[in-house]
Amino acid sequence: MFGYILRRLLSAVPIAFGVSVVCFLLVYLAPGDPVQTLLPPDADAETVAQVKRMYGLDQPLPVQYLTWLGRVMVGDFGRSIATGRPVADEIFRSLGNTVLLAGLSVLVAFSIAFVLGTIAGRHAGGWLDRVVTGVAVVGVSVPNYWLGIVLVIIFSVEMMALPASGMGDGRFDPTSWEHVQYLILPVITLSMIPVGIIARTTRSAVSEVMNQEFVTTLRANGLPEWRVLRHALKNALPPVLAVMGLQFGTLMGGSILVETVFSWPGSGFLLSKAILTRDIPVLQGTILVLALIFVFTNLTVDLFQSSVDPRIRRA
Amino acid sequence: MKQRLALLGAALAIVANLSTPSARAETVLRVAMTAGDIPLTAGIPDQGFEGWRFVGYNLYDSLVLWDLSRGDRIADIKPGLATGWSVDPANNRRWIFQLRQDVKFHDGSPFTAQDVVWNFERFTKEGTPQFNPRQFAFARGYLTNFESVEVVDAHTVAFTTKQPDSLFPYNLSFLMMVSPRRSAEVGNDADAFARNPSGTGPYRFARMVPGERLELVRNADYWDKARIPRHDRLVLLPMPEASTRVASLLSGQVDWIEAPPPDAIPRLRSSRMQIVTNPYPHNWAYQLNFVDGPFADIRVRRAANHALNRADMKEMLGGVALEGYATLPPSTAYYGNPVRYEYDPAKARALLQEAGCMPCQITFAISTSGSGQMQPMPMNELVKSQLEAAGFRVNLQVMDWNALLQLGREGRERHQGVNGINISRATQDPFNGMLRFVASSQAAPRGSNWGHYNSPEMDALINEALSTFDEERRLPILARIHEKMSEDAVMLWVAHDLNPRAMSPRVRGFVQAQSWFQDLTPITVEAR
Amino acid sequence: MSTTVSNAPPTGNDAMAAPRQRGYWGTVGYRLRYDPVTLFFGAVLLSVILAAVFASWIAPADPYQESIIRRLKGPGYMGHILGTDELGRDMLSRLLYGGRLTLLMGMVPVVIATLIGGGLGVVAGFAGGIVNTLIMRTMDVFYAFPSVLLAVAISGAMGGGVTNGMIALTLVFIPPLCRVAETATTQVRNLDFVDAARATGAPLRLVLWHHVLGNVLGPVLIYASSLISVGIILASGLSFLGLGVKPPEPDWGLMLNALRQAIYVNPLIAALPGIAIFITSVSLNMVSDGLRSAMDVRS
Repeated sequence: MFGYILRRLLSAVPIAFGVSVVCFLLVYLAPGDPVQTLLPPDADAETVAQVKRMYGLDQPLPVQYLTWLGRVMVGDFGRSIATGRPVADEIFRSLGNTVLLAGLSVLVAFSIAFVLGTIAGRHAGGWLDRVVTGVAVVGVSVPNYWLGIVLVIIFSVEMMALPASGMGDGRFDPTSWEHVQYLILPVITLSMIPVGIIARTTRSAVSEVMNQEFVTTLRANGLPEWRVLRHALKNALPPVLAVMGLQFGTLMGGSILVETVFSWPGSGFLLSKAILTRDIPVLQGTILVLALIFVFTNLTVDLFQSSVDPRIRRA
Repeated sequence: MKQRLALLGAALAIVANLSTPSARAETVLRVAMTAGDIPLTAGIPDQGFEGWRFVGYNLYDSLVLWDLSRGDRIADIKPGLATGWSVDPANNRRWIFQLRQDVKFHDGSPFTAQDVVWNFERFTKEGTPQFNPRQFAFARGYLTNFESVEVVDAHTVAFTTKQPDSLFPYNLSFLMMVSPRRSAEVGNDADAFARNPSGTGPYRFARMVPGERLELVRNADYWDKARIPRHDRLVLLPMPEASTRVASLLSGQVDWIEAPPPDAIPRLRSSRMQIVTNPYPHNWAYQLNFVDGPFADIRVRRAANHALNRADMKEMLGGVALEGYATLPPSTAYYGNPVRYEYDPAKARALLQEAGCMPCQITFAISTSGSGQMQPMPMNELVKSQLEAAGFRVNLQVMDWNALLQLGREGRERHQGVNGINISRATQDPFNGMLRFVASSQAAPRGSNWGHYNSPEMDALINEALSTFDEERRLPILARIHEKMSEDAVMLWVAHDLNPRAMSPRVRGFVQAQSWFQDLTPITVEAR
Repeated sequence: MSTTVSNAPPTGNDAMAAPRQRGYWGTVGYRLRYDPVTLFFGAVLLSVILAAVFASWIAPADPYQESIIRRLKGPGYMGHILGTDELGRDMLSRLLYGGRLTLLMGMVPVVIATLIGGGLGVVAGFAGGIVNTLIMRTMDVFYAFPSVLLAVAISGAMGGGVTNGMIALTLVFIPPLCRVAETATTQVRNLDFVDAARATGAPLRLVLWHHVLGNVLGPVLIYASSLISVGIILASGLSFLGLGVKPPEPDWGLMLNALRQAIYVNPLIAALPGIAIFITSVSLNMVSDGLRSAMDVRS
């Protein structure tokens, strides 16, 4: 097992390396000279050349990349062009807010979807199954940024019950309604897709287990139905948990639109502001960190799965 | 006598405070700004005049301030950190400013003539330890005529201008005085200073969550006793998305929103929100490129102005705007009698034919939001479709507000593909309202003449106005400048904003000045 | 919306068990004919696509013609069947024309990615060895980005616009499609029947065409069809962020954003573009599910 973990960890290294190359090259996708954004408006050619030297932008690309990588390794992502603040500060302050939002959304989604999926899996083919499958399709099909706007109309504008944006005064306290109320609409919005996905996974896992021989045997042995179900769920749980983990990683990087709709001060909102202001260092750093988190969660899920079921180990 | 009155006022204020049942609870005013980020707190703010309105004039003072105490006339300047000023009778390029005594920065250090010089070095003098390139960039538009400043005595400074400049004091109203002591404490690091700023303004810095909120608290020791804030805390929140601001006000998340979309005003009224509007010196227009592209031809500029149906624009804005036919709103003293470019698409087409530009391909740089930009997206789309109906082909280059401001500062040379920029402008004084857009000496990146308009006749008029120190005699010259701008169609004029704001019924005591800046200090907030 | 992409792609189907008498595609068609739900959503989808394609014939009005006095009116006002938008333009016409760009931005990247990604996957699967490693490890790198993030990052860095948005989405879709194709190809390659076919002396080209491609195409197409819905939601998401279609071109995501302020005047109008995206996306997902079960020959 240990050897396997080590192998998987090592295999993530080249991917992380590749991810950093892609992030680095993003700057060169941008039209225009990247140095322009760093300079005062009327800088003359000499100043441009000087700043290029200062930032090492006159070096060949691979050298630039290695310099950049070296700085990133020690947590130096440069400074934001729009605000002048260190990019690392901006990213890590917002990252916590996104972890909160994405984590809570996945948990909420799991609690709803697991129940729905179990019901559907138990009655596979029946009308309950159809209803749940329908709900799941709606979940993955609804554009969540639109849903967010609709929820704001209903709960903030019409009922004046819940805040429409932000997360209050920046000192989050999970025991106080003053703070928790800000989470409700974004969490509902962001959990729609995972509800659909997790419900589907649960349904197929449960229905598959329910059709297996050991369930029939248990039933034949006169075990009460709820205990049969408990056995079945125990067997269906690992793949569902794995999907839940994957969903967390996806939401971490995929909450941009929802965070923008709710002005949720997370990494996605930071990213969307960076795009508008063409703040390349922020763009680069945020994407790199989010992608690495995604790689890491996927790796964790993978290890979790293989520890539960050694058959699915990858080479 | 005046002092006694002020004291009496302060005493009354205290009594009024005591008689409110919730005098103990902290009163907080929460404001949703249109800016996308918190304006810079390091002195001169960014984010346009909204930055001055909410951060600049609250944390800091300038030598010259704006009188925002009444709403029935266009606001003008008044003494700030300087108690008075006059031109040196012997030299009309030299201005003497008497400074206010007994003013203290928030860090306790006294404000002196030396601090004024120190601050001007911070804006202008490369090589001094406090020199800050960003402050330099923000200040330069107001310092084009500044030559030097010197200490006369502990409470007097003298400025020298490059040219005689009868309007010089207006420019000083935009230059914030920060504490040299605090700057030294943080090693003259402007970022560190911005995180822990110290000025002389009516509010002190309390805390900041970057990108999210800025909290200021009452400065009980403010030198202008009449303007000590009547609430304890002011919270400023950037909310560029207009519908988000409305939803936040309705859900009780904020007490005050800037620029509610006109479409939402009936809805806000029905929820008992207060809507205030007032004319103010505002011009929503396009500055044009006079060198590259079709607008170099005056016929094309006139055609564009005839192509606009401004009544439709006003209608779309729910009536909270004036139709814009010239740079200044008609209530301005030196409005004069400019050409009125009536809606006439046929004439516009004819002019374009004549100019040999049909269809006439143009590109405008516009922003998605920003201080004074009103509803930039639908407004620009309407302008585009009206222009296209008259034979133009319009490409809209959409960008963030700060990016557009930067493009505006850089000038046409670096953006030759852009034929017009849609930066709404303040017209509160003759220089900022007119001269800086048309003086050849103000060509960007030095000044705000973005498109490099150049007319010797105009320059002569400007010089005449600037060297006329008698206000009565200056007015007709200024009016002539305004008329000439109109004749030459130097801009594509669209609208003047009526500056709507919405606030919760709990907000009391606000007087909306006819200005870009507003005084929040008299506001009281009732307990929920 | 990213989920379908980042989830483990479906592995290849074993088509060998298909009832021989109708042939593979015959079976699929036969099954679809008896699946009313899929047929219904297929019909909805077809009408959405046809409406978009023939927008210029169907649309009752010029989608760019604005009229300020008629702005934000409800359905039925002065012949505007679905009302008017914030500049008084006919909503129905805008939605019809908007479907063009939205569908285009959602579908074209999937088609291109299917060709490129599918091609690369087949090559990787067949060649094996170093070629496989090279291709698949490169894919792993792009796979390491959540799809929304990758789409926003690339189109954001390139400065937005329809073309850049489509390039970004194509890059998002290539890796998962490549994986599906590679998995299916590897499976098929190792199956006995290929060797058997070869052993009978059938020309290699024929073997490839008949057995391999046929068996790889199924899973790739199923998977690609499920991506179109993701593509449309992502594309309108980009436009919503201001990275896709630029005004005044009609596009559902952009209309959604532009009409945000209209919720205080006419919430129904503001909701319409979202409803359009939703209906299209649901239909696509249902059809894709239907196809999947019809093509899954084991059941």
